[in-house]
Amino acid sequence: MAERTLPVVQTAGLCKTFRDFWRRPRVDAVKDLNLDIRAGEVFGLLGPNGSGKTTTIKMLLGLLYPTRGRVSVFGRAPTDVAVKARLGFLPEESYLYRFLVAEETLDYYGRLFRLPARIRKDRTERLLDMVGLRHEAKRRVGEFSKGMARRIGLAQALINDPEFLILDEPTSGLDPIGARQIKDVIRELGKKGKTILLSSHVLADVEDVCDRVTILYGGQQRATGDIAELLRRTDMTQITAPPLSSDTLEQVRQLISRLEKKDIIQVTHPRVKLEEFFLKIVEEAQVAKVRTSGARQGGAVPDFLQKPAEATREQVIEGLLAASAHGSSAVVRMEPPGFDHRPSPARELIDQLLGPSRAEPATPSPQPPAPGSPSAEPARQKQSADQSVIDSLLGQSADQREDAGP
Amino acid sequence: MSRVWAVARLMISEGVRMKIALVFLMLIGAVVVGLPFSIKGDGSLTGAVQSFMQYGLSATGLLLGLLTILMARSLSDEVANRQILMVMTKPIPRWQFLLGKWLGMTLLNAAFLICSGATIYGMVHYIKRTHPPLDPRLDEGELNNEVLVARHASKAMLPDFGADVELEFDRNVEEGAYANVPDFDPAREKLRLLRKHEARWRIVGPMNDRVFEFQNVLCDRSPGHFIQLRYRTQVTRYAPDEIFRALWQVGDARSGTPVYRIPVRHVIDRWHTVRIRSDAVAADGSLQVIFRNRNPFEDERQWPNVMEFRADHPLEVMFVVGTFEWNLVRLLVLVQCKLMFLAAVSLLAVTVFSFPVACLTSLTMYVLAGTRAFIMEALNFESVNRASMFSSVKEFFLQSLMHAYMAICWVIPDFGRYDAVEDLVNGRNVGLVWVLQGMSELALVKTAILLGLAMLLFQRREVAEASF
Repeated sequence: MAERTLPVVQTAGLCKTFRDFWRRPRVDAVKDLNLDIRAGEVFGLLGPNGSGKTTTIKMLLGLLYPTRGRVSVFGRAPTDVAVKARLGFLPEESYLYRFLVAEETLDYYGRLFRLPARIRKDRTERLLDMVGLRHEAKRRVGEFSKGMARRIGLAQALINDPEFLILDEPTSGLDPIGARQIKDVIRELGKKGKTILLSSHVLADVEDVCDRVTILYGGQQRATGDIAELLRRTDMTQITAPPLSSDTLEQVRQLISRLEKKDIIQVTHPRVKLEEFFLKIVEEAQVAKVRTSGARQGGAVPDFLQKPAEATREQVIEGLLAASAHGSSAVVRMEPPGFDHRPSPARELIDQLLGPSRAEPATPSPQPPAPGSPSAEPARQKQSADQSVIDSLLGQSADQREDAGP
Repeated sequence: MSRVWAVARLMISEGVRMKIALVFLMLIGAVVVGLPFSIKGDGSLTGAVQSFMQYGLSATGLLLGLLTILMARSLSDEVANRQILMVMTKPIPRWQFLLGKWLGMTLLNAAFLICSGATIYGMVHYIKRTHPPLDPRLDEGELNNEVLVARHASKAMLPDFGADVELEFDRNVEEGAYANVPDFDPAREKLRLLRKHEARWRIVGPMNDRVFEFQNVLCDRSPGHFIQLRYRTQVTRYAPDEIFRALWQVGDARSGTPVYRIPVRHVIDRWHTVRIRSDAVAADGSLQVIFRNRNPFEDERQWPNVMEFRADHPLEVMFVVGTFEWNLVRLLVLVQCKLMFLAAVSLLAVTVFSFPVACLTSLTMYVLAGTRAFIMEALNFESVNRASMFSSVKEFFLQSLMHAYMAICWVIPDFGRYDAVEDLVNGRNVGLVWVLQGMSELALVKTAILLGLAMLLFQRREVAEASF
């Protein structure tokens, strides 16, 4: 994956409290959230219902204002129109105009981005192709099923070829085909270098596509890190092999027992995922041309969705300096009492870029420490704590996972 | 502006596809098309057309006003149904979004108004063609000359009674008439004397004459053109036949114009129009008209009437300055200006309140604008004791109420001031200056104030908050 240097989203001490009519605090939806999403990564925002995921996203989009703390997107306030021109957003439900037909819907959103008519028409057709709704282009979206509306929602989020895509529960209401397709689109966009923020409580979705995750619970950040690192188990080893005879297995068992003084916990035949099985059945039905009035198989991700242009070193510095200079006006800044005035990541990045080790790639601030370094041990402890949170959210005990086998 | 236009286009699509707009259009259609078949007026062709236009145009204005208030539901629905979340994450400033909504409502109203105006125009000609005539020749002539036309009216000038007032006042002072009058105010007394002289001048006794002078009668004086003398008189005692007979003498030989003598036999206390050749008007635009209170019909009996030209029924000379079609267009422009203001009011209301409350607020504003003159007169805040507002609780309450109301009245225009239906129905010119005043006050200044306020409030809203 490309080296990621530019922070697309930064939050510091972000809080949101909903108040009642008399301005009395009612709910603390988000508490002291510190996020740092880098350019080009697929970032997952995980948490159960009511954990503050959607509230966080709405603050990133300028739809809600923080009670305290600060938030910046592309180094600017989220309410800035220039920021919104670089964003794509799919809300938790596709809130569409029921009286518009599918292509009018996409055309309308394209107009808000000031796309020329020719480009709007071209992108509308290709996006409808991508989400498998080309044949329903003239149908009112009010008549669409929830899954079809989600597909239009995804298409509108991509109409401007966004650099940063925010997807709130993108697979909710979708059948497994749609869910798989959206995940494929996310992967594809990730490969093209788009930055994606994915919020979901469907853990499998997040696990499938995300590079890094933050887990929220009760509005608070409970764990953050690289998903591969967070989920890696170092207390077990898994060997995957073609089918083995019982003799061979016995010899393997003896070998392990002799060399490692340990025994094999479980030996099973792996199962395919239900998702894969289901998709295979549907694929067979599609080959047999069974009629359906719903969404059809989507097409490839259109090639107008391009890799964001990489900023030159000078542009990066200028952008960061501008963000720094406009910190009080362009960025929402509401510092809580006792707010930590450490050098901002932007400033650190500038220092790194201008510093003596110019040949070295700039390092993002929340980088996990290298194994064996002095700070590795506390990090491992934190990682272990993070793992327990994931386990509790997954609803799996350690034993259950061990039972899962290879 | 392309984003504003995008929102306006969406608003228009929604308006066209909204069932409520369809219902209102059907209602307007039913009123405009159905009225000619149900309204009879006074039986004459002119009466039928006047009644149709009066009810048709008033009903159209009212229904479109209500439709405008209901159309603001579009924004309210977008917030309630969360479509706003998708729009506000696109690069459109909120003020442009609101402006787009307003523009969409305005264009929709304009389209509805043009359709209604065209239908009314068509129906007027339908009535003209199909109404059973009382007198075919006179009926159509009366309609064409007094209704389907745009006429400017010049009022008779009052003589200057200043010298007479001063003379009488001095005489009264010398005679000591005011010696025992408590709190005597000379200015007020002079005003009273002036009114007395004017009232006396308006009365024409039997066998007496009264000379009326007009200025700026800028009509076409070429042959074949006419001016109209419009008047209404009352009598001190009704004759048994309720008819008066008199002679109008129009023109001034000293100014080199022909002089026309027109004997009239008219019903007392009704409006009458007399047509005169326009060459009776002098080249400088002045016109002399003499009313002779004597019977010109030798074979008919005349009761000796004391005639009165009341101040609220002024004598007018009317002359054609334009066509009915352009008059109708100018009236529709004035109606559109009111609808533009109402659109701003209703958008402001929905940025603050949820729809039912916003609807009620907008309706209240609509009623206030329509009845502002009446309410101002009824409340008569001038009578409030101007003592310090902190002198008592009652004074504080009264003066606070007064200031609040005055502030509201400063923003809310007086719709009655720009109601041109009566003028159109009576064939009076809806003046361009009047229309420009309406456009600047209603469509520019006050609409801009309310729209600006709505934009400011909307900018500060957290659109994703559930309790919007």
